[in-house]
Amino acid sequence: MAEHNSWNVNKPVRPGRSPRLPSKQRNQRMGRIFLVTVLSLGSLVMIVPFLWMLITSFDWGARLNIPFPPRLFPRQFSIRTYEVAFLNIDMLKYILNSIIVAVGVIIVSLLSALLSGYALSKIRFRGAGVVLVVALSTMMIPFEMTMIPQYLLFDKLRLLDSYWAFYLPALNYAFGTFLAKQFIDQLPNTLREAAIIDGAREGTVFWRVYFPLCTPIVATIIILQFLGVWNDLLWPLLVLSDAGKYTIQLGLAMFTYNQGLNRMPAIIMAATTVSLLPVLVLYLFLQRYIVESIALSGIKQ
Amino acid sequence: MSANVNAMSGRKQIRKRRWTRNDRIGFLFATPMLLGIISFSIYPIAAALFMSFQQTNGIMGHWVGLHNYSIVLSDSVFWRSLSNTMFMGVLSVVSGIVVSFVLASLINSLPWTFGRNFFKSVYFLPNVVSAVATSILFSFLFYPGEEGLLNFLLGQIGLGPVGWFTDPTFSRFSIVLMSMWGALGYNTIIFLAALQSVPRDLYEAAEVDGANGIRKWRYITIPYLRPVFLFMVVMGTIGGMKRFTDVWLIGGTAGNPDGTLLTSVLYIYRTAFIGHQMGLATAASYLLFIVILILTVLILRTNRRHDID
Repeated sequence: MAEHNSWNVNKPVRPGRSPRLPSKQRNQRMGRIFLVTVLSLGSLVMIVPFLWMLITSFDWGARLNIPFPPRLFPRQFSIRTYEVAFLNIDMLKYILNSIIVAVGVIIVSLLSALLSGYALSKIRFRGAGVVLVVALSTMMIPFEMTMIPQYLLFDKLRLLDSYWAFYLPALNYAFGTFLAKQFIDQLPNTLREAAIIDGAREGTVFWRVYFPLCTPIVATIIILQFLGVWNDLLWPLLVLSDAGKYTIQLGLAMFTYNQGLNRMPAIIMAATTVSLLPVLVLYLFLQRYIVESIALSGIKQ
Repeated sequence: MSANVNAMSGRKQIRKRRWTRNDRIGFLFATPMLLGIISFSIYPIAAALFMSFQQTNGIMGHWVGLHNYSIVLSDSVFWRSLSNTMFMGVLSVVSGIVVSFVLASLINSLPWTFGRNFFKSVYFLPNVVSAVATSILFSFLFYPGEEGLLNFLLGQIGLGPVGWFTDPTFSRFSIVLMSMWGALGYNTIIFLAALQSVPRDLYEAAEVDGANGIRKWRYITIPYLRPVFLFMVVMGTIGGMKRFTDVWLIGGTAGNPDGTLLTSVLYIYRTAFIGHQMGLATAASYLLFIVILILTVLILRTNRRHDID
């Protein structure tokens, strides 16, 4: 179509150039304007829920009912909504709890993933192939299938309501093993051989030679596990019953669940904003790494 | 010493020798992971199978064979939850893939790197937001009265307020819309990575043959990305079958309104942790797993048939 138009419409032709070019350029520009408009409208749909959350969270007038009609600025701007949110929901404690759980889970899963990834890639011990296949096939099992026996296991061990119920299952991180193995495969074997000839022990080789080279994959695992722990609800819901030990999502969910959804908009929006803040700040600074890590986790699976 | 013996007695002897120092150390390094996998994947999956054949109303259970399975299979609520889950799953997989593929194609055709990265990070943003926060946000955006933002916008064009999460006819569609908002960016990122992997010379060859943008998209891009579509369908189906957090927060354990938001995992959850019938719940979880497996195999097989064509 575009080609036809350029022949029909008589346009001034610049010397030495194809007669199609000006019209083609105009079409291209129109196309780009259209493209940017569509993408911007779509972005608005992505962003508006956040904006509305932020606006409502600062609106003391919205503490009981959603303001009508919706407005761009709070009717009664106030940070009292946040004070009330912190008074009613023990946000600081929940955030601290989530951080404690996340740090523990990250350390345990890094240890498990890097050590096993290194062993599978560089030590190549007898049975390494079998171990890898077993690890990869357990990745197919959905958590929802194993959650009931896992819950009963922690019940038997009397570890319900403790963070061991998070730290111990972090050992089971086959995907991390897979990522680490893939990454360490790219590092040269000669580093290990040379170090061993010099009399270094395997632990030293791992810790002093290979671990410092693993920074990118360590960062990926930290990002994925932090987001996973921070955003998870189902497992905390099963194992934590003491309100003092709630993670941030569980605390927020329990508050809204008990109050009933749609009650106290401004207060709940304030609490939700606080719960999102760490993740949004992290995203702001590390968005390239986060996007890459998550895309990686999708592609490799 | 042993090395000498081995060297003299040849290959067979070496094969018989079990553990070198290297093997022991390697195994030691893999031990934390193996312990984790055995205790939190292999043991639970076996225990779940065992429990699904037992009646476990109290602490002690006794063997009842396939009784739990027949109870679950004859429970209309189980079938209802399965059909709800599949309805929402299929709808969100199809709509999510179509929208995110178009979106990725649009972003990919932007000529500026900055623009591409900007839109990429904007569309991806909801992906880092938890299901809890998303549900809370949307319960207000989709507020049933005219105060809700979406209903307000509908009101501007003269449409009455819709009970997004409270009307049984709309509730499942609303959940699909909400999860699309959250998951769109993830699919878009993967499609973008895939779009950049399409070899340039294919497009150049098509241009020589006189193909325009849309035709290149239809006859080169889409066929080339078939494995990616397949990956998305499989992952989306598996993910969709595990829906829990949002429907639990919005519909409660009953899956309100009118049981339309009762999903399979919610069914398992309430059977196990509210009804305390672990046997029934594990049987239901095995049935769900079988459904997921069948769906995955079906998807992969239909694709293979396409390949032969």
